[in-house]
Formats: sequence, structure tokens, C-alpha cells
Amino acid sequence: MNVEITGVTRRFGRNQAVAGVDLETGPGVFGLLGPNGAGKTTLLRMMATVISPSSGRMRLLGRDPGGYGPRREIRRRLGYLPQSLGYYPGFTVAEFVEYFALLKEMPPARIPGAVAAAVERVDLGRKARVKLRTLSGGMLRRVGIAQAIVNEPELLLLDEPTAGLDPEQRVAFRALLRDLGQRATVIVSTHLVEDVGAACTEVALMDAGKIVFHGTPAELTARGEGHGAAGDAPLERGYSAVLAEARS
Amino acid sequence: MTAAAMSLGYRRARAVRVAWLASAGRLLRIELRRNAMIWLLPVLGALFWFDAYRTAMSYPAVWDLRASVLPAKVVIDFAALVAGASAWMGARETRCRTCGLVTTTPQPGWTRRSATLAATLTWVIVAYLACVALLYAATAVQVTWGGPPWWPVAVGAAALAAVCTIGFAAGTFFASRFTPLLTAVAVFVLEVVGFRSAVGAFGGYRLLSPAGSAPGQDAGLFYPYLPDLAIAQAMFFTGLAVAAVSALGLSRAAGGGARLRVAAAAAGLAGLVAAGVSTGLVGTARVGPNGVVIAALHDAGSDQPLRYAPVCADATGVPVCIHPAFRSYLPKVTAALGPVISLVAGLPGAPVRVSEVATSLVASTNQQADVAGTPPVYRFAMPPTPGSFVQIAGENFTQSLQIAFVTTVIGGSAPSANGPETGNLAQQVVETVLLRRVGLTDGTLNPPTNAAAVAAIRRFAALPAATRHAWLAAHVPALRAGQITLAELP
Repeated sequence: MNVEITGVTRRFGRNQAVAGVDLETGPGVFGLLGPNGAGKTTLLRMMATVISPSSGRMRLLGRDPGGYGPRREIRRRLGYLPQSLGYYPGFTVAEFVEYFALLKEMPPARIPGAVAAAVERVDLGRKARVKLRTLSGGMLRRVGIAQAIVNEPELLLLDEPTAGLDPEQRVAFRALLRDLGQRATVIVSTHLVEDVGAACTEVALMDAGKIVFHGTPAELTARGEGHGAAGDAPLERGYSAVLAEARS
Repeated sequence: MTAAAMSLGYRRARAVRVAWLASAGRLLRIELRRNAMIWLLPVLGALFWFDAYRTAMSYPAVWDLRASVLPAKVVIDFAALVAGASAWMGARETRCRTCGLVTTTPQPGWTRRSATLAATLTWVIVAYLACVALLYAATAVQVTWGGPPWWPVAVGAAALAAVCTIGFAAGTFFASRFTPLLTAVAVFVLEVVGFRSAVGAFGGYRLLSPAGSAPGQDAGLFYPYLPDLAIAQAMFFTGLAVAAVSALGLSRAAGGGARLRVAAAAAGLAGLVAAGVSTGLVGTARVGPNGVVIAALHDAGSDQPLRYAPVCADATGVPVCIHPAFRSYLPKVTAALGPVISLVAGLPGAPVRVSEVATSLVASTNQQADVAGTPPVYRFAMPPTPGSFVQIAGENFTQSLQIAFVTTVIGGSAPSANGPETGNLAQQVVETVLLRRVGLTDGTLNPPTNAAAVAAIRRFAALPAATRHAWLAAHVPALRAGQITLAELP
């Protein structure tokens, strides 16, 4: 298992953002669904080692991120796209991706090839020498994805990766996710259920800091049978049914 | 362990080092290309040209004088901008909201920030060294003696490094959009108020300011450049720079584990100790004839005079010799002294030779000139402090040389300011008449104004030249001794 989480909580003052999550997952694309404020981003930030849990046990890629050495080892094998991507406006696309390749301690000889490949995979090859300040929001999102995958991570954490992408790019991105999921554990936090249906092999639904559903997209769809309006997608009906059940 | 295993281990360690260096090089290259300091380079260049370069070029072509603008002008002009730009770079991760993203990489925050700081500092030092190169190249084609001093260059570099690292640390620890501006203003205020006024009020500590780096009057000409103060200043600024860099390693965001923190704490402590020790040393400084002396750093060898071969020319039969550093001023000096030498030729005690000497040799009576030896030699010191030396380029220089000569030879003492206002009235009357004869006007001479003196001037000036010279030949020893009264003047 690449991700083993047991009883993890995270508090911010009096607010408990994550309230006792248990999760185990291996290679494949894992969808993390939930309404706004459910705790998805906080859980992802803990898995990305940005913040540490208030309590509970967490093992990532077989290591405990609490120790300095293991945490560095995890980070070498980690890719992370935050919900709100910060960037250096004066950097070019290639420089930004190369910068993160260097920070991820990739072997120097591999970096030029890896940067070019990552930029190509997000279809920004022709924009490689363009400065980030000139790019649209969707293109910046793709730059963020490129920096996340440049080191071919074993654990890839993507927070709202398709926000701002046009439909064509979203389709291409889902294909990329499926490809990455062949070798790595890809955890995608989203509130767009169609992304989950198209790309994920496994899905968890969070609400109020807890995981209220964990299964396959088909199982989530099945939970929605007999619920919702006729125009809703099957997964959306499952999503709504599980949430309604959890809150009742 | 076998030799083969050791060899394998060595090769692996070497490969790791090479990879680390290659990565660091690539990171630095990106940071260098995308550093905000690049945008400041034209501004720094313009500041250098308008202030430091033009000031230096207004000084005589003497290495130490020209080099004194490096800490005193370049650093002062650059400091606020460098601090602001460094703070801007230090605040980059917060300003660009990349903190969360970069935290997920294995490189500790300290490493990332070190790369950014190194690039920022590199541009600052490159800009500074380019200014040094330009100034020294322009000076090299003009100087006639000596070589470039490197201590002022080192002090300037250390001061800018300190400002850069402190600004960067401020930007890192107090990241906000206002931090760069506030840092720049704070450095400016510290420069102007802190060092020049407030710190100065407590004694010699104002010497820590790069602005207090003017060399001693004879330094680099008659005596070696005294590096005592420069050593203390370089130590102080380097200590501050090391402490600021270490603070980056001590912060929570630095990452890097316990070993980094211990190393940063040790380095920071060493930096603070160095800054503290240098502050203490500067507190013991005293101003000697050849510059600032700090006993603990002083090399007695620096007190030995430099050997040089004076350059000489003839001024109406009297050899005039000056220091070879002022070779280009020799025609001006002989042209100025020629007329006044003619006026006193043949008088008892009239100099048979004119020599420029170290200020310390003639400054015992707080004067710029004297007549000494047998046969008598007129010894004078150039006024080589930056403030006063601009006279050399103007009309004042000729007039001040003539006034100093006449008042020294006739009155026995050189004036402390322009004009023969020293000595008794009889001396002043004679000096005024002689100096008027070489073309000096009352506006320059500031002659005595009481009625008896004015009448005596009129009377003495009306004498035929030969009569006046004959009277002077008979009475100049008594006149010089102050034994002639106004009434005794013909």
C-alpha cells in the first residue's frame, strides 16, 4: 500500500477539518469527492507533508512522514498540485518545471529530458519558453500538473486539477491520469464527479472531515439508484444519496 | 574493508558530489536569470556615474583618494536599493504563494533560499565590481605613481553583502508587500542617521560606517595605506552577513533537520562575535597622522615611510620637487610659485629649494608649510583630503600656494586659511603688498583694514621695487621675528 492512514485528525484551532480518517490505497487513480469544506484539501495537504496530522498514524510509500529522513525520501517520490497554484511570474514554463525537478533532487542528467516530457504531456511544448505571467488560468493549471509529474512520482496528489481546463483539455488530462495510475498512486481531490467516473478506479467521499463512502465508482453509482432527479448523472445521484444518508 | 570496496565508496561519494554541484549550478542559473536585481542594474549604474564616478574623477589621480569613493559613495548610494530588492526576493515564496508547493519538495527551505540569496548577492557584487573596474580603469590611465588599493574594495563588497543578506532575511521573516519598501527606508535611515549622527554621538563607532572611510592625508603617498579600519569594517560587515544567512537556517521554515540548525547557530554566533569584536576594536581607534590606527590590528611596518623619487622642475632658478603621484600638477605648482620665489629671491632665509613633504612633517604647528634646514628649504604639503583637494583643479590652488609661500617666508608661518591675516600687522602689510604684486586681489587676500595698516600698505606699495627689496633684505629677519612695527615700515 502506498498510502496507509489510520485515525488521522487535523485541527485548526477549534475547527476540526479532518476527523478520524482511515484510508488505504495502492497504485491506481483514487478520487476524493466531497462538498466544499469537507476536509479534502486538508487531507491532501497532510498526505503532501505540507502539514502534519494532529493525531493518528500515517504511512506514505511505506515510510513515516514524521521523521526528517523518511519525509525527504517521500518528498523525492511525491508530486503535488495545490488547489491554488502559486507561481513565479518571471519564470518560463520550462524553467518553472525544471526548478521543481531540481528541488525534487532528480539526477541532473535526467532533468532536461524529464522537463521536456512533462511539458509535452500537458500539451505545453510550444509554450515552453513563454513566461508564466502571460499564460491563461487553464495553461497555468497545466504547468502545475507538469511540475507535479516531472519526477514521475510514485504518489501524485492533485487538488482540483481540472479546474479551469477546457473540455478538450479535461479529456486529455483524464487520459493522462489513467496512464499515470498504471504505475503510481494518484489521488485526485475534486468536486467534479464526471472526472471520477472517467478516470478513477476507486473513490472516497468526504463530508465534515470524515470519509462517508469508500468504494468503486460503480458502487457509488449504485448507491444513487432510486434517488435524485431524472436529469442528474448516475454518479451525482450516488454522491447526493451518500451525503444525504451521512447527514441524516 | 577491502580496497575495492573503498574505491567503490569513494567513486559513489564523488558521483554524489558532482550531481549535487550540477544541481546547485542549474538552480543558481535559473535564479540568476530571473532575479529582480537585474532590473536594478541600470539604476545602480546611473547612480554610480552621477555620484561616485564623477566625485572620484574630480579628485586628483591618486589611487587612495579615488578608491575612497567605493565605500563612501558606492555603498551608501547602493545600500537602500540593494536592501529593498533583496527583501523583495526574500519574500518571494510568500508573495507568490508558493510556500505550500515548495514545502513538498525534499530540498529544505534553507537550500532554496540560499540559491535565491546567492543569485541576488551575485548580481549585487557583479554590479559593484563592474563599478570598481570602471573606476580603477579610468584611474589607471591617469595615475603617475602607486598601485590600486584593495581594502576599500573589500570593505565595500562586505558592506553590500551585509545589506543584501539582511534585506533578504527581512523579506523572508517579515514577508509582506510593504517589506521591501520598509527595508529600503530603514537602511537609508540607518545610513544617514544611525551611522553619521546617532552612532557618531557615542564616539568612534561612526567609523564603522563605510562613509567614514576617508584615507589619512599621507596614506598611499608618503606612508602605506593603513588597513586597520578597513579590516575592522570588513570584519563587522562580514559578521553581520554571516549572522543574517544563519538566521535563515534557524527559522522553522528552513527545514534541514537538527544538523543544519546546529551549524546555523554556530555560524550565526561566530558572525555576531565577529561583528561584536570589530565594534569593540573600532571603539579603541585613534586617528593618527597616516589614518585610523587600531592598536590590536596595527602593523608597525605600516608606519615606515614609502620610498619614492620626487619629480622636480625649475621655478626661476629654484628647484621645485613634488611627489611623483602629483607629477601632472608640477607645471601648475612651478607656475604658481615662480612669481613669489622671484619676489623673495636674495632675501635672508629665502628658500633655495621647494619640496612637497608629508603633512605629518609640517603639521606640527597645524600649518601646511614651513621653511626648514640650512640652506633653507620651503616645505609644503598638498591638501589631499577629498573635501579640500578640489582646490587643485581651480584658481584657488594657485592662490593658496602663493599665499602660503609668502606668509611662511615673510611671516614665518603659513596661514590656516586664505589671506595673510596671521602674524602681526607689519607682517600682514608686507605680505599684502607682495601678494598684490603677483596679481592677487583684496577679495582673496583679506588684508588688514584699520587705518594705520591701510596707510602702511599704501606707503610700502608706493616704494620702488628695488628700494622695497633692499629694505626687506635688511629687515626680513626682524620682520619674521615680529620685531618690526607698522610705524617702522618705510
